Amino acid sequence: MENDELVQNMLLELRRGVLSIAVLSQLSKEEYGYSLLKALSDQGMEIDQSTLYPLLRRLESQGLLQSDWRIMDETRPRRYYVISPQGKAVLTKLKREWSAMVETMGQLLS
Amino acid sequence: MNLIDKYIAEVGKHLPRKNRADIEAEIRSTLEDMLEERKQGQAPENEALVVELLKEYGAPRKVAESYIGPRYLIGPRMYPIFEMVTRIVLVVLVAVALAGLGIGLARSSVSGPEVLKTVGESALGLFSGLITAFGNIVLVFAILERVLPSKEFEKETEDWDPAELANEPDQDRVKFGEQIFEIIFLVLFLVILNLYPGVIGFGFFDEGNWTFISPILTGVFFSYLPWINILFLLQIVFSVYLLRQGWWNTGLRIGNILLELASIALAVVMLRGPALMALTPQQLAGTPLADAADFFAKGANLLPALVLTIVIVVSSIEVAQMIYHLVKSRPSFPYPVVK
Repeated sequence: MENDELVQNMLLELRRGVLSIAVLSQLSKEEYGYSLLKALSDQGMEIDQSTLYPLLRRLESQGLLQSDWRIMDETRPRRYYVISPQGKAVLTKLKREWSAMVETMGQLLS
Repeated sequence: MNLIDKYIAEVGKHLPRKNRADIEAEIRSTLEDMLEERKQGQAPENEALVVELLKEYGAPRKVAESYIGPRYLIGPRMYPIFEMVTRIVLVVLVAVALAGLGIGLARSSVSGPEVLKTVGESALGLFSGLITAFGNIVLVFAILERVLPSKEFEKETEDWDPAELANEPDQDRVKFGEQIFEIIFLVLFLVILNLYPGVIGFGFFDEGNWTFISPILTGVFFSYLPWINILFLLQIVFSVYLLRQGWWNTGLRIGNILLELASIALAVVMLRGPALMALTPQQLAGTPLADAADFFAKGANLLPALVLTIVIVVSSIEVAQMIYHLVKSRPSFPYPVVK
């Protein structure tokens, strides 16, 4: 039971570390917050909305994302996010680092 | 106002004004998206569904906190210095209180109730002093937390070089602890002189009775108060600016020399002017010093002159040190540079 809690906490930290890459990877096309949440969830990356929205704002303040409010279906405004040129450059580097990390971890865990 | 409106208003209460409207709009948009998805096949106005949705979304305060991150009165960067200063000040206060209690007990009769009364009064005085000192320290650090730029701390960490450990302390680096002590004591002096001048006096324990003689400072002393306030405030502003800079430079050294010269000038004027303290032998009647009241009153009235002389000497040494550092030629880089 105690180990389960430890594992859960470690998994939480592990997932928190990769969320930025996951989010950047899904924003080559415009998404609003909830559609991004669903897209990530459909691919197995469950993320809490209270984590996603602050993360989106942080990535935008770092210049990695761009956003604007739009009314798409004449009902309510939604904020659409898309990766910025700087975000694309950062994502390319992060992908490279991620591949190297996966390879290293694969060796360590084999 | 429906439940979602009320929920968003509640979240908004905990958000900074700057981004409030934007974050509120985003939360509303998300909640409506989530609700729309869940409504499929259900009645359009299902309050239970909204309640379930809001419960899942989280407590308003928690949702707001996820946007603003942790906030500190005194953050992790300042906390070690805060802890050090607090510990030193509190230890000094306890030591002074214990010394006062020792003198009081030595002078009181040995009967149990008298001893208990003396100890009780000392404990109360100490408690009140500790709370006041702690409050002032917290106030000063809370202000410094908001005034000092975080980049200075980051720079200090990034620029750290193990080779520095082997070097002499850099004379240009501002001594952080020293400046913070100075700020705290200047603030304490300003608070006491302006708000609680009544606490300046002489206290005696005699046979379990606490006698406190105040006021002892004359109107002449308080006629200098505006100048003292200006000088102390300038010194506080200077110290905060110095902490922000992190390093002494020529301009700051000249500024410090000017402040020290102003202190010397004021001290000289006060020293040459009329008496600053007026303790009379009559005030000492009924105290343990009553037998030699004339002698002690004359001695006590020399205290301001002694303090002012110390100020003049210490400030003069400081000016001399500043001038020495100004004229001393220093290499711009602490290590030999091979070209």
